[in-house]
Amino acid sequence: MRWLLGLLILTMPALALAQSAGQVESCFQNPNSCTWENGVPTPRAQHAPAPPPAPVASAAPRGPDYTTVLNSPEPDRRKIQESLRTLDKYNGPIDGNLSSEATMKGIAAWQKGHGYPQSGKLTPPEAAALNNEASRAPIKRLDPKMEAAVAPPAPPAPSNADRLKELQARLAERRKAAEPKANAATEALVRDLKAYVAADGKGVAGEQFAGFAKWYADTKAEGRTIGDIKPAVEDYGDAKTGAAATAEVTFGTKQGDSSAKECLVFAWIEGNPRKDAQAFSCDDVAGVEKWKTDQSLKSAWR
Amino acid sequence: MSRKILLLALGLVTLAAGAWAQSYGKPERRDPIFLRFPEMAQRFWVNTETMAASHKAVAVPMPKQCSFLYADTYTRNQMSESEVQQMALSNCNAKLNQLGPLGENYGVTCHCQVIISDGAYQVPREALPDQAYGPASIFYRDGQGNIARLNGTAKYGALIGRDRSVTFSVDNSRAEPVCEGTFTNEGPSNGRFSLSCFNGRFAGNGTYESRTGSPNDHIIARGQTQRGQPIILVIGLPAQLAANMYGGL
Repeated sequence: MRWLLGLLILTMPALALAQSAGQVESCFQNPNSCTWENGVPTPRAQHAPAPPPAPVASAAPRGPDYTTVLNSPEPDRRKIQESLRTLDKYNGPIDGNLSSEATMKGIAAWQKGHGYPQSGKLTPPEAAALNNEASRAPIKRLDPKMEAAVAPPAPPAPSNADRLKELQARLAERRKAAEPKANAATEALVRDLKAYVAADGKGVAGEQFAGFAKWYADTKAEGRTIGDIKPAVEDYGDAKTGAAATAEVTFGTKQGDSSAKECLVFAWIEGNPRKDAQAFSCDDVAGVEKWKTDQSLKSAWR
Repeated sequence: MSRKILLLALGLVTLAAGAWAQSYGKPERRDPIFLRFPEMAQRFWVNTETMAASHKAVAVPMPKQCSFLYADTYTRNQMSESEVQQMALSNCNAKLNQLGPLGENYGVTCHCQVIISDGAYQVPREALPDQAYGPASIFYRDGQGNIARLNGTAKYGALIGRDRSVTFSVDNSRAEPVCEGTFTNEGPSNGRFSLSCFNGRFAGNGTYESRTGSPNDHIIARGQTQRGQPIILVIGLPAQLAANMYGGL
């Protein structure tokens, strides 16, 4: 009986810690500073061994969660000090020490102005609100003397405009890399479409794209002839079973003196023969997008 | 006299250049923004009454990860294009303010911006939302009764409800990817979901429902973790509002 009690005492802490809310929350906020053992999250200590994180919120009367912010990575703690300074609540060094007297005073002063309990320590929502407020504050010119007195500031985070430029450049680069393959795939399709029209409804294009074969037969039955065929790459990228391509193709049709343009979207997985090939009306937006989702297409084009 | 004419001409050229610089091409029916907001697409492309409007403006919160709501304005000749823009902007801001602060979800500041006006995009296409984005909150109750509130943003395929299954991902407020999952629809606005965080170490599944209307269109998903603990995922409401509505578990 005693050994059973002993076993229970030994296993109780492990059971209590199994995916505890506080630890899951800490890991969510700092996924890179978190290790998992047997499915149990363990936030890593930053510098000194930190006390085990307290539950953030509980069904019983909940204590505020100060440990998450105190144990957050150094850049985050420095950011809080920077935010306090931006809001004129702190004048000390940006060293990430949130337990220093000056930092706690600054936090308490900020909490006072916002109706929070003046604990001098921040809960995660308070830290987010503080940083958010500071990010909206107008830029101030720093006093050079004060600037000299403090530790060298962390390099400024890239602005939204910079991030946007970077993203645009990345997208353009990705598309450029995909362009030769996308163009080659579309050109091959057009060759097959032209061959199908030239052979009056025979060839791989009709065998692979049943929707196109039907459209061709209907067009022919209405007495219309097909003229120029103009393609444009609609999307291209990797899918679960290979490279996926979609192309918007405009067909010029004629019936006597009247001419018209009709538009089809061709979607397929590259290969010989093409796989999962489908043709859609250009208005069938949902159909095309569904095909892409079904293929798990990761676009390198958009 | 000639100097005045020269200045006037210079002013006109500057204005024309400004107007040109603000246009980023014509909207198309297949653009992701219309897939994201089907009702907006209906008004912009299908409804004959709104399509006949002489002025159309659409505003959404930007940058694109903030674009979880929109305001569109359609008027006839009584208003100028700039007045219509102001109205769309004002409606968008009012919606945003009504829902409460976004600071717990986003590391960036979200602010409304007119994206379509005068039949053209007013922001570069690359900056427009390419998928569906929204604030996300995950509520999890552990075996001790403690509740975790995980706030961030979600990104998912724009055709939820029409596609059989839509994948989504959840980032924390610092835009670090943490969770991913799938919505598999069973009806037009409901189905099953699965969620996997920290590379599958924390996971859950259950059912979801897509709710439209006040306070804002959102998705509410309820289920259990792999260890049988309750979990709730809310997409489309700021953290505080989500906690007030669903945080009790």
